[in-house]
Amino acid sequence: MRIGMMSFAHLHAEAYIGNLRAIHDVEMIGIADDNTERGQHFANQFGAPFFSDYDSLLAEKPDGVVICCENNRHREQVEMALAAGVKHILCEKPLATTLEDAQAIVQQVDAAHATLMTAFPMRFSPPIREAYATIRAGKLGNIIGCNATNQGENPGYHRDWFVDKRLSGGGAVMDHTVHVVDLMRWIFDSEIAEIYAEADSADHPLFAAPGLHIDTAGILMITFTNGTFVGLDCSWSRPNYYPTWGNVRIDFVGERGLIVVDSFAQHHITFSQPNRRPLWDYWGSDTNQALIDEFAASIRENRQPMITGRDGLKAVEAVLAAYQSAETHDTVKLA
Amino acid sequence: MRVVIIGSGSMGTTHAAGWHSLATDGVTLVGIVSANRASAEVLTQHYGGKVFETLAEVLPLVDVVDICVPTDLHLQFTLQAAAAKKHIFCEKPIARTLADAQQMIEACNAAQVRLFIGQVVRFFPQYQSVQRALTQGKIGELAVLRLTRVSYRPQKEAGSWFMDFSRSGGPLLDMLVHDYDYARWLGGDVARVYTRVSPPDAGGISDYAQVLMRFRSGAIAHLEGGWCYPPGMFRTKIEAAGTGGLIEWDSDSTAPITSYIKTQPGAVADVGLPLSPLTIDPYAAIIQHFYEAVVNDLPFAVTPEDALAALQIGLAAIESAQSGKPVTLPK
Repeated sequence: MRIGMMSFAHLHAEAYIGNLRAIHDVEMIGIADDNTERGQHFANQFGAPFFSDYDSLLAEKPDGVVICCENNRHREQVEMALAAGVKHILCEKPLATTLEDAQAIVQQVDAAHATLMTAFPMRFSPPIREAYATIRAGKLGNIIGCNATNQGENPGYHRDWFVDKRLSGGGAVMDHTVHVVDLMRWIFDSEIAEIYAEADSADHPLFAAPGLHIDTAGILMITFTNGTFVGLDCSWSRPNYYPTWGNVRIDFVGERGLIVVDSFAQHHITFSQPNRRPLWDYWGSDTNQALIDEFAASIRENRQPMITGRDGLKAVEAVLAAYQSAETHDTVKLA
Repeated sequence: MRVVIIGSGSMGTTHAAGWHSLATDGVTLVGIVSANRASAEVLTQHYGGKVFETLAEVLPLVDVVDICVPTDLHLQFTLQAAAAKKHIFCEKPIARTLADAQQMIEACNAAQVRLFIGQVVRFFPQYQSVQRALTQGKIGELAVLRLTRVSYRPQKEAGSWFMDFSRSGGPLLDMLVHDYDYARWLGGDVARVYTRVSPPDAGGISDYAQVLMRFRSGAIAHLEGGWCYPPGMFRTKIEAAGTGGLIEWDSDSTAPITSYIKTQPGAVADVGLPLSPLTIDPYAAIIQHFYEAVVNDLPFAVTPEDALAALQIGLAAIESAQSGKPVTLPK
């Protein structure tokens, strides 16, 4: 199968390209980016063909595309791919920055009888899968609540657009809510009933950096229809001198006890240079590879991927409800 | 200083050991007032003094009354001790209701006796160290605070006051009052809280709770408390993220000694119980602080007003748990 990559705006594209190439029956046909400088840079770095506009990549009639543009342009690129007859799309998270865009994406994919996968690699994390299996087997009893963090460093250190609200749709809450929301929907097989959030405002970010006008800190309380509540800290509270980028940690508190998951605990600590911070070098499984494997498998087997566009849409709904709650200081119910 | 302890439960036992550590400084444990004669006698045999039936009979013999009874009984013993002009050390939370707490403070002020509430977490060195680092500006301004205090159900007989929500407030008050106080110590006054709890049992107790907080400063916090872990487990955590740095501490990963001991030959090891031994136990340190502050007429490190403010946050958290809505605290 032939797969093209649309935009290298998101950092994850740098992983996905290698993940695509690692699959025996995938031909990674090239990188398209309308930011010529960025596209050319990564095409050179990865020794890949470069297309300076998306139409010329799509003219190659790829079986699938991987979209890693800025969050607010996901809809535009999905529409472009569908119009060119692409039947399988993998889109970076969050699926969109508005409900309207997210709904339009899902509807148009359905209308085109195409498939859309939202990039939630944490579903492939082996520690998370272990917890999933234990919980689904009923060993923890009913789940009462979860204490979760998806904290990270400010991604603006690596890419400017993450901290430009017009392009990203929001800061920490937009960036770091969707992963855990998706995991919980999947693990509990339950939808969100209500959200309450305390977050900072774009005008007064708690972790201010010069010239930064975006939310940087948030704690959400998400109540599912099954009664489980999940406290989620999505703050960009790791300094850029922390030994790693951040974490996904979840304590599952159930009737029969507790499961503590630290998804990135599989690391060793490296002290390699005087006067430099030690680094946590992760040696656990490559969740991005598993994500891309599943995307390729869904194309190969011509089936829905295990994570769909609707999953992406539900996560966007949660993010927008959290922003609404943080602004109104009241709970927000989801349909 | 002559002291009487009221109550011979777990805190009465801890306090007896604390007072005993001051024996060479001239502290005398005159006795224990307790409805449970057997447990009180164990303490007096160990630490000296006599068992008394009532507070009234021992009041003329003491300078200090140490109240280690169920939370809802703090008021009546405080009033009795204050009326007799005795200084008071009272366990946390200060009281079960705001009215009780206010009446305790007013009575002690009127009687000109010192009232101290045992917010012992302020005497734990890791909590002190984090607070000091924040005060010293090591992490800039506080932005996001995370605190955890989850244990197992108190192993008490059926009908224990702990398991009666109207008396103890459950973990949402009894456990988390430590963290409400600590959060205030670090972040100042709290503007708003929102709580979620597990479904309450027959006694009204929710085993597990999470509280979101907004400080007046704009900083935010997440608190987790409960009695829902399997017996033997107790985890505490502090994470303070500031505008210029981050502090992380948790009891799991910093335990300096963990024992895995076979209960019988050939058996698998019992669950590893982490311990954090110290030269001066925080429960002794808080009693020493009280002693020195009273003897030398120095201010207390934590005031009754602090304890009242912590109770106020706890009652707001309870209100939010019941209404399902955020609760704004009065200024």
